Amino acid sequence: MMTIWSSWIWESKNHEHCLPAGESMHYLIIVLQIALLLAIVLLHVAYVTYFERKIIGHMQVRLGPMLVGWHGLLQPIADGIKSFFKEDIIPEQADKPLFLAAPIICLVTMLTSLAVLPFARGWVLADINIGLLFIFAMSSLASYGIILAGWASNSKYTFLGGMRSMAQVISYEIPLGLSLVGVMMLSGSLNLSEIVAAQGTSLFSTYLFPQCIGFFVFFIAMLAETNRVPFDLPEAETELVSGYITEYSGMRYAMFFMAEYIGMMVMASIGTVCFLGGWNGPFAIPFFPPFWFILKVYGFLFLFIWIRATLPRYRYDQLMALGWKVLIPLALLNIFLTGLFKVLVS
Amino acid sequence: MKLHYKPKRNLLETILQVEILQGLALTLRKLFSPPITRQYPQEKPPMYPGFRGQHALVRDPLTNESKCVGCMRCATVCPSRCIQIRFHEGESGERVIDQYSIEALRCVFCGYCVEVCPVGAITMTEAFEYASYERETIFFDQEALLANWDHFCAQSGHDETYVNPFWRPRGARESTLPASQRMKVPDDWTIEGQFVGTRVRQAQESEDARHAEAVNG
Amino acid sequence: MVNQLLFLYCALVIIGTALLTVRFKNPVHSVLAVLVLFFHMAGLYLLLNAEFLAAIQIIVYAGAILVLYLFVLFLVNLRQEVKVERFVASHRLSALVSICLGICLLAILPFFKLGAKGNYPVGRIEQLTHTKAMGLEIYSTFLLPFEIAGLILLIAVIGGLVLARNDKEVAENELSDSPSAGTCEVQE
Repeated sequence: MMTIWSSWIWESKNHEHCLPAGESMHYLIIVLQIALLLAIVLLHVAYVTYFERKIIGHMQVRLGPMLVGWHGLLQPIADGIKSFFKEDIIPEQADKPLFLAAPIICLVTMLTSLAVLPFARGWVLADINIGLLFIFAMSSLASYGIILAGWASNSKYTFLGGMRSMAQVISYEIPLGLSLVGVMMLSGSLNLSEIVAAQGTSLFSTYLFPQCIGFFVFFIAMLAETNRVPFDLPEAETELVSGYITEYSGMRYAMFFMAEYIGMMVMASIGTVCFLGGWNGPFAIPFFPPFWFILKVYGFLFLFIWIRATLPRYRYDQLMALGWKVLIPLALLNIFLTGLFKVLVS
Repeated sequence: MKLHYKPKRNLLETILQVEILQGLALTLRKLFSPPITRQYPQEKPPMYPGFRGQHALVRDPLTNESKCVGCMRCATVCPSRCIQIRFHEGESGERVIDQYSIEALRCVFCGYCVEVCPVGAITMTEAFEYASYERETIFFDQEALLANWDHFCAQSGHDETYVNPFWRPRGARESTLPASQRMKVPDDWTIEGQFVGTRVRQAQESEDARHAEAVNG
Repeated sequence: MVNQLLFLYCALVIIGTALLTVRFKNPVHSVLAVLVLFFHMAGLYLLLNAEFLAAIQIIVYAGAILVLYLFVLFLVNLRQEVKVERFVASHRLSALVSICLGICLLAILPFFKLGAKGNYPVGRIEQLTHTKAMGLEIYSTFLLPFEIAGLILLIAVIGGLVLARNDKEVAENELSDSPSAGTCEVQE
């Protein structure tokens, strides 16, 4: 709903440009674009899980899924069908409305963040002026899904997972936001398309180099924000069974799964847009402008998976110490240095 | 000895987090190494001598019956007590087996029964795919054990000379045998990697002797 | 027209969820009603072209403050509803007072006047973007109030630190004889 709303708000500003007769057509096109984006993203989610299993398998000198289709290529589809037809178990002692709502909150907020991502010049559903803040808002709302799942399931594992997630998300949202303040200062805008445009077309004019501290902080906070290894304490299998999703099954479990992977993709896109120059590449690709953007996002996703295959999980106090004692001071230092740099240059 | 859980690093190493980078390099290297997975149902594992699989009673080609003489050694040595033997005395004082059964679900596959059998009546075959939905089919009585042997011989082409080199030859008298017929320890095994064995014992004894000499002298 | 309908929707939902917040028996449900309320307040800000405020409303209020409320609720863990004695025994009297207050509020409405137009009409804000306009105003015209607010917050932060530190020192004195972490000596 928020997607349509925000795009509507944006549209209402450019109201003069639209002809009244073409207006309904215009909305139809937007709805079609949303449907297309959702389809592509959900397909990506399915195959990111496949490639995650494959890559981690080969990194551990295993094969990964091999049986369904050629080299297991149909595995995500089989998984999807399986989870769709599985029994939907609701615990007797659960808070039923919240238990049912939690995965939907998780998934919807993550899907909504997709609306503001610029895939190429003009390839964006809602080109709003506060794109970056919108993403933060949505990712902070997504934590509600996790917290409520943990609370509503009425089980100690899920509750512990929910509590951990809550503390983790609050702690890491601060360095995540602060690390991007440097980018906002350099580009002078919160609009994601303008941030890309401000970085210029060459690799060396991207914000990766002037904002290397910011990128470091952003990268770690991004891992924590998406609950990925080494910060996957909310769903630590070895200690909390499966954290906040212990009591979920079937399609609702799959929804949490999808939300996690869409979150990964959104964060990877933000990293691409803010630090790697978005859709700009060494040379332009005709007919398919988002080529470089997608390539960079894939690179980020590979990094996510690579780190998952390599690093063990952090201890909880280490996680908190890293967030508050290392990342936040580093991000503040980065803001200070960026401000100093801007003052000296101008 | 002092164990440092926090390794000492200089500033550059702290900034670059070398250990994490080393770990990442290792996983990336392994990504391109050939996987060691065996696609099991399509690809069977290779069998090596000494494999302790399904139990069987060797069918004696002369009598077309089990070779078992009812000495009860296997039932006595069995650590999980899964072998049950009933017999009665025959006319000339020999033991006639009434019942010989192995409850394979309780078996720990130690192979002691095969090792102690003086006549080589019981053996462990190379078959291992005999999982079943019914418990009764994994509770082997004498007929089933003989059938296991027939099946194994038909499948693998072995006959009653099937001798596992880990175990001593069948039918030989115990007094004629050397202490044990374990596989030889390969020469490239170093003493450091070994905890038991003659060579380790010898090395330790000579060192102890030298030590005692040094103390006395 | 559409704007007014959206405003009506937001306003009704805000009133409804505010009432629900008070009425819900379960405190977690109350917090969720407040979440929906904040969401629609953000919607109101969006209708006023104040997109920065809308985002901050969700990030700060919904994303941080309300989560902390939930944290406190979970940690306190109220299993039973707290029963408090009524201040006024009579139902009718309380109903009468609240109706009177409602009438007073409604009676004030016609006297509500729009303020004078400021330096930032809608067109200017759209051209400048809301974030920038707000930043310029806060850091130039309203710098002093902003700094005062910052100082008050700083005092609160220091107060919180002092309170937390006292507790910690007591705890540390109790645990003073525990061995230091980091290195561990193993004798062999």
